[in-house]
Amino acid sequence: MDTAKDTGRHLFTARTVTAVMPRRGGGETTVFRGLSFDVDGGEVVDVTGPSGSGKSTLLTAFARLNVHTSGTFALDGRDSDTFTPQMWRSVVAYLPQTPTLIGDTVADAIRLPWTLKVRHSERAHEPKDLLTDAHIRATLDDMGCADIDLDRAPRDLSGGQAARVSLARTLLTKPRVLLADEVDAGLDEENADKVADLLKKAADNGTAVVRIRHRAPDGRATRMVVLKDGVLRDVPLPTAAQVAAAARDDDFGGDDVAAAASVDGADGADSALRKER
Amino acid sequence: MNGYFDIDIWGLVAAVVMVLIAAGISALMKTGVATSLVWATARSLVQLLAMGFILQYVIRQDNVWLVIGLIALMLLAAVQITMGRATGAPKGLVGIVLLALVVTMLLMLAIVAELIVRPKPWYAPQLVVPLTGMLLGNTVSALALGLSRFFESMRERYAEVNTLLALGATKWEAAKPSMISSIRLGLLPSVAMLASSGIVTIPGMMSGQIIAGKSPVSAAKYQFVILAAVAALTLVADSIIIALIYKRCFISYDRYFVPEPAKQLSLKDLIRLRKDVHPDESAAELKRAAADDRRMSAR
Repeated sequence: MDTAKDTGRHLFTARTVTAVMPRRGGGETTVFRGLSFDVDGGEVVDVTGPSGSGKSTLLTAFARLNVHTSGTFALDGRDSDTFTPQMWRSVVAYLPQTPTLIGDTVADAIRLPWTLKVRHSERAHEPKDLLTDAHIRATLDDMGCADIDLDRAPRDLSGGQAARVSLARTLLTKPRVLLADEVDAGLDEENADKVADLLKKAADNGTAVVRIRHRAPDGRATRMVVLKDGVLRDVPLPTAAQVAAAARDDDFGGDDVAAAASVDGADGADSALRKER
Repeated sequence: MNGYFDIDIWGLVAAVVMVLIAAGISALMKTGVATSLVWATARSLVQLLAMGFILQYVIRQDNVWLVIGLIALMLLAAVQITMGRATGAPKGLVGIVLLALVVTMLLMLAIVAELIVRPKPWYAPQLVVPLTGMLLGNTVSALALGLSRFFESMRERYAEVNTLLALGATKWEAAKPSMISSIRLGLLPSVAMLASSGIVTIPGMMSGQIIAGKSPVSAAKYQFVILAAVAALTLVADSIIIALIYKRCFISYDRYFVPEPAKQLSLKDLIRLRKDVHPDESAAELKRAAADDRRMSAR
């Protein structure tokens, strides 16, 4: 199954992904073993599954950030070991669930990736005004973040604003694969929708987007996978009618649906399937 | 001796009584420092007495090997005290701490003793030994503070370090804020010492020289050179250490992983058998060994 030909066909491939966590007080727990995953540019893949099934672990393994994971990863058929860690993470970008914005102002926080060594040579190819306040302003406006003042301290932002700034920071670095770890958790419907739009737009521009989600389906995913009991399997996308129903439920008792989905996303998907039948 | 006042046995007793009163107050307030205060007092009295005799002996003998041996002993003690005070630092730093101390000490002796003061013979114990002592005393506290602060900061900055790495930062870039905060904290005492010298703190070396009849200008010059050199070299030692250890917080493929702190051995642990104190130690040891193995094989 993991032949070289197989890995060459997709933008991003992961083979034999294994996570073994040390247990408190000694011993080890295998979260999953030998998983495979592929994704192509333009896709939006939703990863769901119960809490603790290792969804975040899987995404941090893809970015090769996680100490307790191993596996073989390739981009355009090129093995991650032939990249420097910095190069790999700038093309396979992991976006943490909790936004950590570093800098005195929002503008500084967004400029941060461009102060790193890995992008020094890249900057020569980018427009000269890339990091001016005016350009950042225009980009944020374009992303539907007109409400965010560049001179504000990041800690003064609301949860939704911080999530969008964090996303904008990563999107501006134009990764080929974007691994979004439940970036819409704890956001209200309106902000969650804005975040989903940003991700969809990135996918339309050719980025491969992988989202961990606990919310009800929002109709933007092109594919859905469930991680449960150490197994990663494809599930059919919810139909348009189901998405509409979920949105309608959100308008009235949206919290219940979201809560039910977040308790056990996999079961949520399963019940959606049952309804379909 | 002119202008010198001896302390009799009652003076010592009075000092001890003062410490006991302080210890009593801390015991009443349950601060938990009473025992260590009494212990440190006893230790300091014994150490000072011993050093007095050793110093006198070494100065009288005027033998280069005795001077080198004494300095080597002081260095080892400095390493032990640094490691003991650097809470939160992982084990396996002894070599690096020793290296930083040796380098700064050699710089100190080369610049201050041999270039500025130029004593005869070059190893003059009355200059070289106290000079080393002043440098080590200062560097030890700076290094211990700096080490603790660095690892504490790297643990606190968990989310920030991972975010930086995810954005493509190198190990150096991800660790830099912790390095700066650690070096800054380690240097604060030196800066405070420089600023307060002559007003709040009157260095013993300087008063000694004035008592011995030296001119105030020459005593002050002497003291200034030493204080300035100590402050500057403390920065050197701190920088060497931090530059050599920051990589300890990362493993293969530049992934963030702060090693577990080394177990601090208190006197109690040494008196009782360590097994009684840490029944779960073998499990923790095994886990750490496994982590080490993984690290090695990952490389």
